[in-house]
Amino acid sequence: MHYPTWYVPFLTSPMLIALIAILHVLVSHYAVGGGLFLAVETRYAYRTNNKEYLAYLRDHAWFFILITVVYGAITGVGIWWTIGLASPLATETLIHTFVFGWAMEYVFFVLEIVSAFIFFYYWGRLEPKVHQAMAWIYAFSAWMSLVLITGITAFMLNSGAWVENRNFWVGFFNPQFIPQVIARTGGALLLTSLYVYLHASFRVKETTLRDLIASRSTLPALVGAACVILGGLGWYIFLPESAKAALAAASSLNIMMVLIFALTIAVFVMLYLGPLRNPSWVSPGFALVLFGMGLTVFSTGEFVREAVRKPYIIYNVVYSNQIFPEELPTLREKGYLEGGTWTSAWVRSRYSNAVQSQQIDEQKLLALPEADQRELGKVLFQYHCSSCHATREGYSAAAQLVRGWTLEMIKNLVQNTEKFHFFMPPWAGTPEEAELLTKYLISIAPPRPGGMK
Amino acid sequence: MNPTELIGPPSPLGYPAPYWFLVTFKVLGFTLHMGPMHLWFAGTLLAMILARWGSTEAQRWSARLLKQMSVIIALGVNFGIVPLLFTQVAYYRVFYPATILMAWPWFLIIILLTFAYYGVYIYVTGLKDNAELTLFKRVAGWISAILFLAIGFLFSNGFSLMTNLDAWPQIWQSTSVAGAPLGTALNLADPTLWPRWLMMFGLALTTVAAYTVFDAGVFARRESAGYRRWAGSFALKLYTIGLIWFAVMGLWYVFGTWSTDVRDQMFASPLILLTVLTALGPGVPWLLILFQRRQITQTLAIVTGLAQFGVLGLNAISRQFVQNIELSKFVDVTAEPVNLQLSPLVVFLILFVAGLGVVAWMLEKVLRAERQPSTG
Repeated sequence: MHYPTWYVPFLTSPMLIALIAILHVLVSHYAVGGGLFLAVETRYAYRTNNKEYLAYLRDHAWFFILITVVYGAITGVGIWWTIGLASPLATETLIHTFVFGWAMEYVFFVLEIVSAFIFFYYWGRLEPKVHQAMAWIYAFSAWMSLVLITGITAFMLNSGAWVENRNFWVGFFNPQFIPQVIARTGGALLLTSLYVYLHASFRVKETTLRDLIASRSTLPALVGAACVILGGLGWYIFLPESAKAALAAASSLNIMMVLIFALTIAVFVMLYLGPLRNPSWVSPGFALVLFGMGLTVFSTGEFVREAVRKPYIIYNVVYSNQIFPEELPTLREKGYLEGGTWTSAWVRSRYSNAVQSQQIDEQKLLALPEADQRELGKVLFQYHCSSCHATREGYSAAAQLVRGWTLEMIKNLVQNTEKFHFFMPPWAGTPEEAELLTKYLISIAPPRPGGMK
Repeated sequence: MNPTELIGPPSPLGYPAPYWFLVTFKVLGFTLHMGPMHLWFAGTLLAMILARWGSTEAQRWSARLLKQMSVIIALGVNFGIVPLLFTQVAYYRVFYPATILMAWPWFLIIILLTFAYYGVYIYVTGLKDNAELTLFKRVAGWISAILFLAIGFLFSNGFSLMTNLDAWPQIWQSTSVAGAPLGTALNLADPTLWPRWLMMFGLALTTVAAYTVFDAGVFARRESAGYRRWAGSFALKLYTIGLIWFAVMGLWYVFGTWSTDVRDQMFASPLILLTVLTALGPGVPWLLILFQRRQITQTLAIVTGLAQFGVLGLNAISRQFVQNIELSKFVDVTAEPVNLQLSPLVVFLILFVAGLGVVAWMLEKVLRAERQPSTG
């Protein structure tokens, strides 16, 4: 509304954020946990003078840099890229609220990059104590990055008292902050162990060393799993009521939660039976299955975490369709098309006969030819609805959702979206605009499927 | 359609710090970003050309640069976050619409960068001792070089479209579905696009030349005296070519595409001083390289690096002024209310200084290690 809506047919543009974000978190958590792994294990290897283990850690550090510094860093920037394109108002709000949070995170990011490269490229050329210090600088910086980013992403799920006082620290230390830091720290430990098993199973042929690696990585994995469960409980407890309700109401989220629960138990059992009790089980096949299960749990968890925010993109601050809640009364009175920067310009340029005294005349919109009314309904759909719905086909396609509905049913839904579904943003236009949107939706809705008794 | 109709309302939150603070970090960040970015933008292509057709020393130079490229890219991406961050704080009302109008090409940057980055890593595996530079690795290197040029072109599109608001209505209307942009546009009709992109390439060549001297004087101590002499002579030629290129494209950009508004202000007091310094600035590193064409010294090499940093800084400051003048007829970015976030700002500054201290400590350890023979 304030910005143009990027139209991504079939998928919807916010789904690109989900895609990039999920791809990123699978590596960013490893970037945190892997730092701790390398710091702790390098210290252990130096202390026990285990040259084979040191050689393995060097090999792992290379793998770690290739994955995290390249792919992790670029997908991290990629999230920035995508949220600005798909959710510009939310990004504008976040960045004006937390720019110094990101700036602080940036300082730690610099430390991460510099220490990671020195740790790897100067392996064997630094005194052991200095070398270990580099690893610890990396580990601490990476964890601080996690803490700082979590403060911001957790704010999106529960903005807490920020809405009243708009204070940086109140927003940062929101109710979701501590649970999510615990869960993400645990996730980083757990996921890192799965990366280590996978890497070691392919790279280490010598069984004694592989067993050592497997057994030493199991305790962090189990501690990590416990933290994920503890943080997950906190996450649930501090969810806003609507998010809890969304979790209970959406069947797809129900399935995902069951999947997360079942796979987490399976990972836990496999960790216990495999690396902890029988380190020799850590073969490439075993590690791949464990890794795949871990990635599935993580990806699904991230998707659920994103999905329960609806109807907001920032809880109580920005609706998922890029409207501030406080804008609703004006938009309902003066019209969504008039209130939106880009919708207003579109109507003025295309339908000048519907503009009177520099204002869009709502009555005149309904006097336009039917085809124009449907086209304006489509404009309303693009700006009001397309953040969450594809049109005819694709992700949560609107046409499929109103298949076989009557005009009155659709109109009733359009004007009372939040009453029909509490996880949908409220209608932000006039009754005349609801009419236009209804006409568009009825024009694309397929008939009720035939052959049903 | 009046393009100002397409600028949304200001954020109700206001700026979290005064405009001067935001723009200072934006310019500083862009200056820091330009150094490494120039090395991959022009340096990768040059290194690939010289690896294929260059002399022994040129091939040695190519290998040296590409071996360092993974670190250079990491630093460049990292430094690029700062100007991006502060652009989004202070220029959000034009930045978001411009990038949304060209959303797919803009999004493509991330994908191209990933491939380009990994391409460099693949190529470099062929430069290790006892490794073979296979056809696959060479192709990966060439693809990276081309992708870096393409990424630069897309960036030029994005940032020129950000100030080319006059083009927005036409681009929007021709590439949207019911008012929602498909995001397939580029800013190709903008007369400033090509000179801006090409001018940056010329400037990038000068940075590669300055870095060649810096590298030979500071990092390349184990290289032969012959290589170091070659590096000085090569750097002078490269800087001269880059300088001429930069001057020609700069003339095209300034006299062929600047609006009267921009020209009037950039050629009038007090900004005329900045314009002249920006134009003449590259002469300083060129002279320093000229002195070192036969013998590169560590001190002069460091001074050359700093002088080039100054050149990039002047360029970034000038660009900022031009950007603001171009935008001034549509939106005044300096006029937004400030809602100062003092305590987070102070915490950031403390962390910033502390972070610099830790980086300095780490670099000191590296330099100490560099002075000692390898043990591993």
